[in-house]
Amino acid sequence: MATDEELVAQLAHGDEAALRDLLQRYERPLSSFIHRHTGGRDVEDLYQETWWRVVRHAARFDPTRRFSTWLFQIAVNLCRDFHRRSPPEAYESADDLVAPDVRQRSEAAADAARLLAALPEAQREVIVLRYYHDFSEEQTADILGCPKGTVKSRLHHALAQLAARVREGGQ
Amino acid sequence: MSGTEKPPHALAAHVAECDECRVAPPPLARVTAVLEASVVLLDATALSRRALLRLQPEVARMAVSNLWRKVLAALLLALLPLPGVLAYDAYLLRLVYELASALVPAALAAYLIFGYAAFLILLFATTYAAIPLFLAERRVGERPALG
Repeated sequence: MATDEELVAQLAHGDEAALRDLLQRYERPLSSFIHRHTGGRDVEDLYQETWWRVVRHAARFDPTRRFSTWLFQIAVNLCRDFHRRSPPEAYESADDLVAPDVRQRSEAAADAARLLAALPEAQREVIVLRYYHDFSEEQTADILGCPKGTVKSRLHHALAQLAARVREGGQ
Repeated sequence: MSGTEKPPHALAAHVAECDECRVAPPPLARVTAVLEASVVLLDATALSRRALLRLQPEVARMAVSNLWRKVLAALLLALLPLPGVLAYDAYLLRLVYELASALVPAALAAYLIFGYAAFLILLFATTYAAIPLFLAERRVGERPALG
């Protein structure tokens, strides 16, 4: 099976099958990441824009880097731009994208979404990348473009905020 | 990157190595319980399908420009030895002409040599014209069925 980096090289030559494979491999983690980052707003636009940039810049991808890091770096930058453009709103769900079999969102899931949405953007990014996507500290630092120490401190502050809110809410 | 939703132990690892958290441990179990309840209700496959539809023209454009780059490179590569080959052919044709003109009348020898030269030129032209056709056909063969 081709590696992600090999697939990007094929994509740079206009190989549609390579794009299909990459989409299939990353559709869940990437869409979840964007959803959690933006609180469910503009997920489809940001998802499409992320892949658009992957396609447009595939020829410039450095094969010594990990594709996943590059992909999430693009997504992080787009999500940050989105937050700069759009004022924060309460958590919402893009109902038209909801899978038919999972339309009933639980109250607990909504609480979790609100908790994440309440975190400052920089801390939320670290929590989502480290907790939900299992990126290492080094990869997270690479994606966010900050030192490893900053990732550690953001994780610490995020955890402190989450703990405080959980205690407040009596959850 | 796992690509799954299974929560790792990033928070637990942090608490274990952080002096501050060791002194005043956060309610890790409660925090992770809340975080684990976060379910993203998206039809990711539908998202990818729509993204692919949007990206297909761009990928096709990239494929075409890549094909032309290959054609150009192959043609340039094939043209490199051409002057040498033509010079060697001209040398051979002159030898054959000298030999033939010793055996048959000069006009007939010239006719035979010009005929052979024309055949060689046709052969070269066909070979060079086949390069883009060969590359295009190989590309069509490589392309997977849409679906």
